[in-house]
Amino acid sequence: MSGIFDKTTDGLAAALNFRQLKQSIASSNIANAETPGYKAKKVDFEEALARALDQNGMGQLEGKEDGHFLAGPGALSRVRADVYDNPDINMTNDGNTVDLEKEMAELAENTILYKAALRLINKKLGTMRYAVTEGSR
Amino acid sequence: MSDFSKALGVSSSGLSAQRMRMNTISSNIANINTTRTPEGGPYRRKDVVLESMPETRNFGEILTSLPDRNVQRVQVTDVHVDRKAPILKYEPNHPDANEDGYVAYPNINLMEEMTNMIQATRSYEANVSAMQSTKDMALSALEIGR
Repeated sequence: MSGIFDKTTDGLAAALNFRQLKQSIASSNIANAETPGYKAKKVDFEEALARALDQNGMGQLEGKEDGHFLAGPGALSRVRADVYDNPDINMTNDGNTVDLEKEMAELAENTILYKAALRLINKKLGTMRYAVTEGSR
Repeated sequence: MSDFSKALGVSSSGLSAQRMRMNTISSNIANINTTRTPEGGPYRRKDVVLESMPETRNFGEILTSLPDRNVQRVQVTDVHVDRKAPILKYEPNHPDANEDGYVAYPNINLMEEMTNMIQATRSYEANVSAMQSTKDMALSALEIGR
């Protein structure tokens, strides 16, 4: 995406995608809270997203694996979320590592942040609408 | 939308697994004094075996790509029958008493069943709220650009 949709819109869209993934993973952890031997999963994407958005303005070029720099147009679509077994929890007798309270808290947080991103997108679209209607709405 | 339907599918698998678990617990409590069963002998305590497996939506997804190992549904794969020895009670007048006058009763601990029941209820509730918030997210996504 380029043109009238700028980096902010792209970043917010990417954030929404990652929040969806996080929601699936948290749901999976909750559903398997009593499955013997199940290992809780964790998702990290905030840092990768911040790097791709170049939030600190340092213009760091990252992610050269495929021969492309993770910057410029399309950089956001190449950001990958990091999913791994959550290391910072204690195991129960049956080898399950799900911390139910933590998962519920994460789920609530995820929903709120998802809605926050949605609201920002709507504001963005609102300003655009204001412009195309020449402010006469 | 696919990610949302995945999350909903996983939560609903959790709900049905916990409901199934609740059914076996109810059955255990109801049959705490049952001395006759179709297979003969006293009732034997039952317990569900939960197993996690990758959530895949359809056959095509299985064929075309590796299943997503990170999003796992839960399933009751087996109902385990407890082989603990029955409790013998001396009741010579009972029709099911053996020649020494002892009746075999199921070896069910009511406290154990009650704690399992509370655990199943809580897990069920957790899955319901996970489902609620996923639904919430999906619905608010429909409001983009409104």
